[in-house]
Amino acid sequence: MKVLVTVKPVADPNTPPAAWIAAQQGKPTGEVNHVANYFDLIAVEQAIRLKDVGVDDICIVSITGDDKMAQVRSAIAMGANRAILIDPEGKALEWHQIAAALKHVVEQEQPAFVLMGKQATDDDASQVGSILAGMLGWPQATFVSEMEFNADRTRVKVGRETDEGVEVLDVKLPAVITCDLRLNEPRYATLPNLIKSKKAPLERFKFSELGIAADPQVTVEGFALPAGRSGECRMVKDADELVGVLKEMKLV
Amino acid sequence: MKILVVAEMQLGKLKPSNGAAVRFAQDLAAKTGGSFDIVLIGHGLADLAAGLNKYGAGALHVIDAPRFENYLPGSFCAAVVGLVQAEGYTAVIGGEATTSRDIFPRIAGALGAGMCKGVSAIVDAGGGVAYQRAVFSGMALRTERIHTPIHVLTVDPTAVGEPAEGPAGAVKAFAAPGGDDDSVKFVERRRAESGRPDLAVAERVVGAGRGIKSADYLETIGTLADKLGAAIGSTRAVVDAGWLPNEFQVGQTGKAIAPKLYLAIGISGAVQHSAGIRGAKTIVAINKDPEAPIFKIADVGIVADLFDVVPKLIEKI
Repeated sequence: MKVLVTVKPVADPNTPPAAWIAAQQGKPTGEVNHVANYFDLIAVEQAIRLKDVGVDDICIVSITGDDKMAQVRSAIAMGANRAILIDPEGKALEWHQIAAALKHVVEQEQPAFVLMGKQATDDDASQVGSILAGMLGWPQATFVSEMEFNADRTRVKVGRETDEGVEVLDVKLPAVITCDLRLNEPRYATLPNLIKSKKAPLERFKFSELGIAADPQVTVEGFALPAGRSGECRMVKDADELVGVLKEMKLV
Repeated sequence: MKILVVAEMQLGKLKPSNGAAVRFAQDLAAKTGGSFDIVLIGHGLADLAAGLNKYGAGALHVIDAPRFENYLPGSFCAAVVGLVQAEGYTAVIGGEATTSRDIFPRIAGALGAGMCKGVSAIVDAGGGVAYQRAVFSGMALRTERIHTPIHVLTVDPTAVGEPAEGPAGAVKAFAAPGGDDDSVKFVERRRAESGRPDLAVAERVVGAGRGIKSADYLETIGTLADKLGAAIGSTRAVVDAGWLPNEFQVGQTGKAIAPKLYLAIGISGAVQHSAGIRGAKTIVAINKDPEAPIFKIADVGIVADLFDVVPKLIEKI
């Protein structure tokens, strides 16, 4: 079975917000380190674990310029076979454009299913998986924390994390599946595998070659820092005083 | 704008996040000179419709059929898209929750419409409107503008107020397009019943972090929660450790909550967790590390061993 797994390089989640905003606005700033989106690494790990049920071709897809190849390589080195890279040519693409680019790759590769992280930790949007599934006319299963294939690999039973507990769905393949935290714990790429990953076949496209509308549906107009929580933290010395303060504030 | 609010259900009841979606629709209708309707999708909805039809909506569409008994993304998406196209809506709004996160981008894609997720405010933008939302674990706010004729939005329930009451609208049955489809089948729902308030809307929440050291201590946390009439929430570390199921998780990848009291016990206050409690009125932190970031956002704090403090709180409250 062939599986496509999406990987997005994102700013390190520990980047100070002001520096992140400056980088988003294209201002020269101190180093903002990038990492592969953690949820995408869960997707890569899942693909590797599914070798037991017949996955034999793991293809990473990433929409990124050459400057963030290290993050894509680290994902390949976990155990993927190859990668397809789409160069955004310096443009900030929005979710619909990204889904359209992925659709192009899916139509070329015809995988058994697509695995993605449930959201990117920079824009926190969790949109692309559902848009892609809709564009392809495929079933979708988002926020998945359990996967179990049927005997002939035509359907997969998934557990989805919802506000109301784990929802179990039986999904026909091909499908788009987005991965949640509890699905697995991603392995680290070893140094020998990182070196080996440099030989993994890469196929490259430019976004402008794919025939996707260049005008975004959604644009970013600006950034702000959220208002901090006002006031100092009132420190109390023991449980008695804490209960007194809570009573005074009419909270208990 | 001609707005459609997609109401959501939770275990056979109306979901609290619907209130924020209706309020946002009221505000957007007022700002853009429009009106709003509501749609409810499910099976056996007669008793629920009244609970939604008191906010001045022009119409309450009811899509009621056996195939909508359980939420499934494909059929629910087709139903909403069919209604939007039949009635010519220019905005589709839902409250931010796991169901809307699943289905709204699919709806947006099907309508060829731009979407903003988890919107907290409407912003004036050169004769039109733009939307503000939290990004980067809630550490930054971003203003986004949609350029398609239809706007698709989910609304952050912790950032938007209660809806204003108003007259009931006409109740209309809508026959949704599509039929039975076996591509996705509902199997079952596994859920831990606690008898405690719903975490998403509880007035008081006791939050447990890695500092509680083991799942065993959750019993004591539960006793404190019951004394306070509180829900239990947790950090991602507690969920990752398998001490609590995912639906207890508060933060960037879990729920955003806005209780009157959030009692953070053994929680360091990583940004990913703080992202989910920004809306809390009062944050009280118990942590033995005086440098823990939680004290930077807490209103009341105590630097102490939680294993000493929590039993005393149970005794004294």
